[in-house]
Amino acid sequence: MSLLRNIATGLRSLVRRNKVNRELDEELSAYLEMAAVEKMKLGMSRKEALRAVRLEQGTPELTREVVRSGSWESVVENCWRDLRFAARMLRKAPGFTAVAVLTLALGIGANTAIFSLLNAVMLKTIPVSRPAQLVILRWSAHSRPQNLGTSSYGDCLWVPGAIQSCSFSFPMYKALLAHTDTFSSVLAMADAGQLDLSGNGPASMVGGELVSGNYFEALGVSSALGRTIRPSDDRAGAPAVVVLNFGYWQRAFGGAADVIARTVRLNGSPFTIAGVIDPRFTRLTPGKSHDLWIPLSQAASVRPSWNEQRRHVDEPTNWWLAIIGRLKPEVSLAQAQAATNLAFRNEALHGANPVFKDADDPQVALLPAQKGLVGIRQYYDQPIYILSAAVAIILVIVCANLAALLLARATAREKEMAVRLALGAGKGQIIQQLLTESLLLSFAGAALGILFADWSAQALAAFISRNAYSTLFIDTRPDARVLAFAVVVTLLTGILFGLAPAFRGSRINVGPALKDSYGGSTAAPKATGRRIGLGSCLVVAQVALSVVVLVGAGLLVRTLTNLRKVNPGFDTHNVLLFGINPTLAGYKVETIQTLYRELQARFASVPGVISATYSSDTLLSDGLWTSEVHIEGQPKDSTIRTDMLAVGPEFFETMRLPLVGGRTFSNSDLQSERAVAVVNRTFAQRFLGGKNPLGVRLGGTTPSDNKIEREIVGIVGDAKYDNLRKSVEPTAYVPLQEGAAYFAIRTSTQAEALVPTVRQIVASFDENLPLFKVTTQTETIDRLLFNERLVAQLSSVFGGLALVLACVGLYGLLSYEVARRTREIGIRTALGAQRREIFRLVLRQGLTLTIFGAVVGITAAIGVTRYLGSLLYGVAATDPLTFVTIALTLLTVALLAGYIPSRRAMRVDPMVALRYE
Amino acid sequence: MPDKPSDLVQGTLDMLILKTLSLQPMHGYGISVRIEQISKDVFRPNAGSLFLAIQRLERDGLIDGEWKPTENNRRARYYTLTAKGRKRLDTETREWGRQAAAIARILEAL
Repeated sequence: MSLLRNIATGLRSLVRRNKVNRELDEELSAYLEMAAVEKMKLGMSRKEALRAVRLEQGTPELTREVVRSGSWESVVENCWRDLRFAARMLRKAPGFTAVAVLTLALGIGANTAIFSLLNAVMLKTIPVSRPAQLVILRWSAHSRPQNLGTSSYGDCLWVPGAIQSCSFSFPMYKALLAHTDTFSSVLAMADAGQLDLSGNGPASMVGGELVSGNYFEALGVSSALGRTIRPSDDRAGAPAVVVLNFGYWQRAFGGAADVIARTVRLNGSPFTIAGVIDPRFTRLTPGKSHDLWIPLSQAASVRPSWNEQRRHVDEPTNWWLAIIGRLKPEVSLAQAQAATNLAFRNEALHGANPVFKDADDPQVALLPAQKGLVGIRQYYDQPIYILSAAVAIILVIVCANLAALLLARATAREKEMAVRLALGAGKGQIIQQLLTESLLLSFAGAALGILFADWSAQALAAFISRNAYSTLFIDTRPDARVLAFAVVVTLLTGILFGLAPAFRGSRINVGPALKDSYGGSTAAPKATGRRIGLGSCLVVAQVALSVVVLVGAGLLVRTLTNLRKVNPGFDTHNVLLFGINPTLAGYKVETIQTLYRELQARFASVPGVISATYSSDTLLSDGLWTSEVHIEGQPKDSTIRTDMLAVGPEFFETMRLPLVGGRTFSNSDLQSERAVAVVNRTFAQRFLGGKNPLGVRLGGTTPSDNKIEREIVGIVGDAKYDNLRKSVEPTAYVPLQEGAAYFAIRTSTQAEALVPTVRQIVASFDENLPLFKVTTQTETIDRLLFNERLVAQLSSVFGGLALVLACVGLYGLLSYEVARRTREIGIRTALGAQRREIFRLVLRQGLTLTIFGAVVGITAAIGVTRYLGSLLYGVAATDPLTFVTIALTLLTVALLAGYIPSRRAMRVDPMVALRYE
Repeated sequence: MPDKPSDLVQGTLDMLILKTLSLQPMHGYGISVRIEQISKDVFRPNAGSLFLAIQRLERDGLIDGEWKPTENNRRARYYTLTAKGRKRLDTETREWGRQAAAIARILEAL
């Protein structure tokens, strides 16, 4: 009660300050008047009485101050007064203010931008209701059953070598559904694979997800238009429905409201559009998105390959579903874990169709969904951490820079502070005043920086999205966490760079400062000595920190250049790439072959095209197919693991992969029953020990493959397959017989220019055959090197920024020194010092600081760069060349920064300098 | 010449003001004079600390202020004890009595 009343009265007195002040004055003067009247009764004259009262009580002004200081609102008022004063002081020095605010905007803005990105990629919670209750199931086992087919879908963290997965069979899902005492709901999802969507203009390739009927309901995700998928949609025989992602609906349907009830065909099957999902939900995995969702019951109709392979959705060995459970509020994770594990083992070991044996010891773990669904985090966490470190260092440099600026200013304002101290200001008040100034600067910088941060975070997110093959959803809109981060960083920054100058300001020796006629030049030499010490330390710190950022940037740039210089073994220039998947459009194996051959011929006949081919995957796009193969003449049942790529005619010619021996595939190889293979040089060397590989036969290991015996007919040069960092593995090329294909068209000019022609040609064959992943070979390399490019480019920018800041700091310090020592220099010159000596005197100081800073920085960098470790390529974390280059660059720039003040020192006219006295 | 006025024990001025107002509503100067008279010039609060205490008590809701004309046709703020103030005075008086008696006992014992 009384607290509320206190606040209310305080607010009233803040808002109606004049009235409250007047009332207090009136009350006080009434008091004094009454006291005077009392004294007059004792026989004093009025004048005497008033004087006596004043002597007893002190002046009314002082009394008023005492009374007012007792209320909390006076603290607010003092702050407000300090703030207004600070604003006035900053307005008086527009140059200083502009430089300070801009530097701070850069520092705070860069940090906020990178934090927004970090927040969007790693911290933002899944946009569903009560996400903390969601768990994803992951099984692990000692050994993996031979006939088990699992899916990599589900965005579980992939651990090399571990036998674990987040995919489960349909019967297992049913068994877990029965566990209603642990979970309030159990939902399943699976990748719908590539979907050929027709019925909405030209056919296009989209990505979708198969979800159980309770998916949206259990997640608490609603629709923006129409409805979501309901449990009734997920029953056998229910009409096929599809719901759209909001962003996809905007892109592909122009946000038209009449999409509801329209029919589209997905891989040939008709689906009715039932709704558009809330824009905040794009996929359960943070950062990723799906274009559309369809009920699980439609799995068979959109996966033609399953029908061909006679794999059924409810087969016990077909593990294709990711399972998410929503824990009941009263059930703990440990309880749920125990209960689920029991149910899982029961079904997997003793169910109707046991998949595992007791010795496999299968176990299931429940992972919190936020942590378990790693999503894009796993690709971008390292670059984001590196960039965070770089911007944090930049901010510290900014602080050091501003602290030095303020220190120089504090010297100029010594007199002002001395006057205040002499007039009775407390040290605390001076510190408060100066800190208010630095905080005001800091917040002004932050206000500007946040605008810049918002813009650049969006640009960064767009840059990242553009480089991914599937649509990403990186929501960098600032939330409470980003704002809190910005405020805390701003406060800390303001205090960090303001603290030293503030304390310096409060420690002024009033007497000498006021007597001194000229700035601070003859102030107590001891104090001056200390000040230079601090200023120099700040410059050394700036130089050292910028060395750390620059060395990091240098190593990352060298990594990128090294990767760019890697010879992939084939010619990457002027190659257009795109994929088509005729299976999804209803083609059968035999017709696919003909289609590919005809398309290839048509492409090859286009003017400007040198040759055309196709393969099961594009090179250097992170896709890899490996297989176990038996080699003729080696111990029975022994196998080797080799990379495999299925290719069409003229593949080696088009990619310019040199033939070393034997022959490449001829048209007859692709049709005949006689299976052939071409291997690379590493294959021949590693597995055949230099023996002539031509004529050697390869056999498969799986029952279906065993019948195929491939004869090696040719050897080609080594070429990188999935990425540039890995050394070339043994690779076997085989003729492409079925499935999707990526065409590669070598042109004599710009490859991109051919895209419209190619689309036209494909459409002339079949309108429902969409092109996907349309790109060029050089672009695939760019995407492959995306993280490297991201960190190399951004850290170079940050390195440059750090260098500029450090040089400005050095320049500022030297200029200030020259100005302060004008008289000393004048005396030296008058006494016969050569101008060259004066020039060297100043330059030497700058160089000493720089060298000292560089040494400290290099030592620190050696300790820090090893954290870049796995990102580097072809360069050691302590690469001497990088370190020397950075050191030399820094010295050159420091010389430039020191040149101007040194020249100014040299030009000091002794007459003018001494006349200052 | 009377003794120099003593400094008040920390926090007792509040209690004295409450006690003074328990008899009748008074303005600031009246409170000051009354404390001076009753304490026989031992306590003579100055205007600063007096009004500081009054401001505090009013904000805590222990007293209420109201502008009223004075005898010599000026305006002054008259303060009244609230019910809450009366309760506070009672507890503080009791507590003070206990403490004073205890201190007296200690001083006598030594």
